[in-house]
Amino acid sequence: MKFDDVKEFLIAEANRAGLEGYEVYYMESSDMSAETLKDEISSFASGVRGGVCFRCIVDGRMGNASSELFEENEMKALVARAIENAKNIENDDKAILFGGSEKYETPKLPKADEADAATLKRLALWMQDNTYKASEYITDGTQSAVFESKIKTELMNSYGLRLSNSVAMSGAYVQSVVQKDEQSEEGFDFAIGLNENDLSAISESATKEALSKIGAVEVDTGKYDVVISGKRMRDLLSSYASSFSGRNAQLGMSRLREKEGQKIAAEIINIIDDPMREGCSMQTPFDGEGVAAYKKTVVESGVLKTLLYDLTTADKKGIESTGNGQRLSYSTPVHIAPYSFYIKGGDTAPDDLVGKVKDGIYITEFKGMHAGCNSVTGDFSIESAGYRIRDGKICESVRSFTVAGNFFDMLLAIEDISNNVSFGIPSGYTCYGAPDVLLRDMSVAGK
Amino acid sequence: MIKRELLEEIIAASLSSGGDFAEVFAERARSNSIQFVDGKIDKINDNFLSGVGIRVFKGTRTVYASTTDVTREGLLACARSASDALGEGNAQISICLTPQKVIDIHPVKIDPLASAIKDRSDILKKACFAAKESDALISQVQGSIMGVEREILVANSEGLLKHDTHTRTRLLVNAIASKDGEDQSGSCNPGRSMGLEMFDFISPEYVGREAARGALVNLRAGYCEAGRMTVAIENGFGGVIFHEACGHSLEATQVGVGMSEMCGKLGEKIANEKITAIDDGTIPGAWGSINIDDEGTPTQRNVLIENGILKNYMVDRLGSRRMGMAMTGSSRRQDYTYEPTSRMTNTFIDNGPDKNEDIIASIEYGLYAKQMGGGSVNPLTGAFNFSVREGYIVRNGKICEPVRGASLIGTGSRILQDIDMVGQNLERGQGVCGSSSGSVPTDVGQPLIRVKEITVGGR
Repeated sequence: MKFDDVKEFLIAEANRAGLEGYEVYYMESSDMSAETLKDEISSFASGVRGGVCFRCIVDGRMGNASSELFEENEMKALVARAIENAKNIENDDKAILFGGSEKYETPKLPKADEADAATLKRLALWMQDNTYKASEYITDGTQSAVFESKIKTELMNSYGLRLSNSVAMSGAYVQSVVQKDEQSEEGFDFAIGLNENDLSAISESATKEALSKIGAVEVDTGKYDVVISGKRMRDLLSSYASSFSGRNAQLGMSRLREKEGQKIAAEIINIIDDPMREGCSMQTPFDGEGVAAYKKTVVESGVLKTLLYDLTTADKKGIESTGNGQRLSYSTPVHIAPYSFYIKGGDTAPDDLVGKVKDGIYITEFKGMHAGCNSVTGDFSIESAGYRIRDGKICESVRSFTVAGNFFDMLLAIEDISNNVSFGIPSGYTCYGAPDVLLRDMSVAGK
Repeated sequence: MIKRELLEEIIAASLSSGGDFAEVFAERARSNSIQFVDGKIDKINDNFLSGVGIRVFKGTRTVYASTTDVTREGLLACARSASDALGEGNAQISICLTPQKVIDIHPVKIDPLASAIKDRSDILKKACFAAKESDALISQVQGSIMGVEREILVANSEGLLKHDTHTRTRLLVNAIASKDGEDQSGSCNPGRSMGLEMFDFISPEYVGREAARGALVNLRAGYCEAGRMTVAIENGFGGVIFHEACGHSLEATQVGVGMSEMCGKLGEKIANEKITAIDDGTIPGAWGSINIDDEGTPTQRNVLIENGILKNYMVDRLGSRRMGMAMTGSSRRQDYTYEPTSRMTNTFIDNGPDKNEDIIASIEYGLYAKQMGGGSVNPLTGAFNFSVREGYIVRNGKICEPVRGASLIGTGSRILQDIDMVGQNLERGQGVCGSSSGSVPTDVGQPLIRVKEITVGGR
């Protein structure tokens, strides 16, 4: 069966089962990627994927089930499984299927760089050549890769909701491996889109990063003033984003519970959530429940204005959903997540921020954040690397130390931020961004 | 799942542009996860995954194409797209597949997905209520019980045709203890390649109480001090140290392209002679076990390090071509959307010569890491990190007050030499390992070990 037939079939099954409230969520995606090793395409991958999630309300409770097999027997079983699952739910949450928002904004998507398989392969080889030319110390193991993906989503329910969205994203990354003085190091960078200037820039930047790590020294254990680069600050923000979930707050699992309206960060901190950030390839006018997605200020001048809510948690609080009930695909449940979630830039130029540190560390690398960050407590202790700062200037590279602290204490203690914001690669519709941040007296464990 | 004649046709089509090897991997997997929070069954996630991945080799170049369209047209289109991506040509190839029987070394007694949802919910509730009731300071308990049944078919141009079904069950409990506005968490997550019979010898109540205990210990713990010190790492999930610090660096994924600090070291002494380390996918019913790998090769017991000497790597088919070494049944992938690569199964440091009490008694001042969290490694440099979920200070050979927020960092080659005592209480713990072919279930394990000096991150 094709999806249109599946849709009709599921509606008929739902009616036959006497379901009043039901929903069909469909997603299809296609992707391609080309990877290089040495001077050839080592791996080329392509995929097409489609599946459906069926949700229904039985006795006031929501059940769901998903499948990728569009065959009649399986589609019948899908509806039966969703009903059976609903009957076994015990929570008192109000199960809600949404009739639709008054207005949905139109995404302002950047022009997509569409490419065929041959173009992807040509670009990957061209980038690999650039990367090998970037330094005499480049060694085998260096990889350049180009990817492209397209996603289409459809949502319909028994309350008349009919929505669809299509997005496309392309990009490239380089992993440079250099060998010098019997030491091997690697550097990484990525670009969104297939603009050739951007692609040649990442060959340079990844190689520069790898080279900068050669000869890195250890630091003494102690307290240091640190500047955390925007790339790494956005990783920290990502690790603690679950604290901004209204659901986690309602369940007592977020340090931000009962903090709406209160100061949670330094006054210079503003955090924005924007489903239609200009230039971002992954934009959506609606969330996984069909609620209009919109731009909001989550933290304003250090004050927590709102947490993020879906229909059920908003209902519990007696407010409107913030349109953050997201779905990554048909196989993941509705969960609260931000869109482009970023700390707004400040007034200080990046060099001037470093200039405020007499004796400290500029952190450019965090490793193992999934393990080193405790999302419940806010505590972190993370393997790091970067550069020493002396008299306001970036000096020798340093490695093999940990930086420890508490994310929530840190938000309050940020002394200054840079005026440039660095964004990561979107995962689904979620993408994090942050400027460089200056902090005093952070605990560092080294030699 | 797919008829033999069609498989032969797909493989022939995949090779039409000059590939020298082609493989079809078909998968159907049903998973169900019942979730508990706030004293109630909260959500049930129920997914059926179905698709096919086709891989073509030409030397060490590979093309991979996957699809959920499992109709004849969809599969042949997928094969053609793989073939076209490799090059041009119209070779006529004839393939003859021979079905081979797979011996199930992990037979399941109580199929989790065939059991009533209520039976699974009851197990989950026993665990979660045991956590909640273990102390008034336990403020929230989250848990889930997960069952997965994965059916795979592998066919390749060498005539191999194998079919296998694998079932896994896992119980996860996460408890939060709160006092004076501060929260701490603890968790316990046992899993097996078994059905619900796993709870005949792992009591759900024990799982709940363990999660609660971890949270309560951390609530009364102060921050761990930073610096270099001697560290004793307890058995079970403590084995994550070997998994991260060394295991990933022994995968052909890294070694085959020269991206590992362990390249070219076969036969060399890379670890203290007290260390013997093994990757064993044949352990009956273990979480990381399999019958055949995702290329159809039977799983086996691979001795990686024996008395400190590097004996073997973990090698998949592509790695075998790159390295000129035999395949070790180590090729794995999360699902059909991923090209498989060499991965670990159940990886552990074997029992050693030291008595556990001697290990603690030998430490004048250091850290006893009773429970480890996850970690990561850069195989190129061997730099690794992992977090300590439950730790205690050791003073004058005695385990003293708990500390929290610690992490351990170092490099693989160095720590293998610095593990200078290996105890005798080998146990394994369960994890999910992430790498280029997705997330796969793995066991890590070891007895109590001592690392003579390592950097402890804290404050």
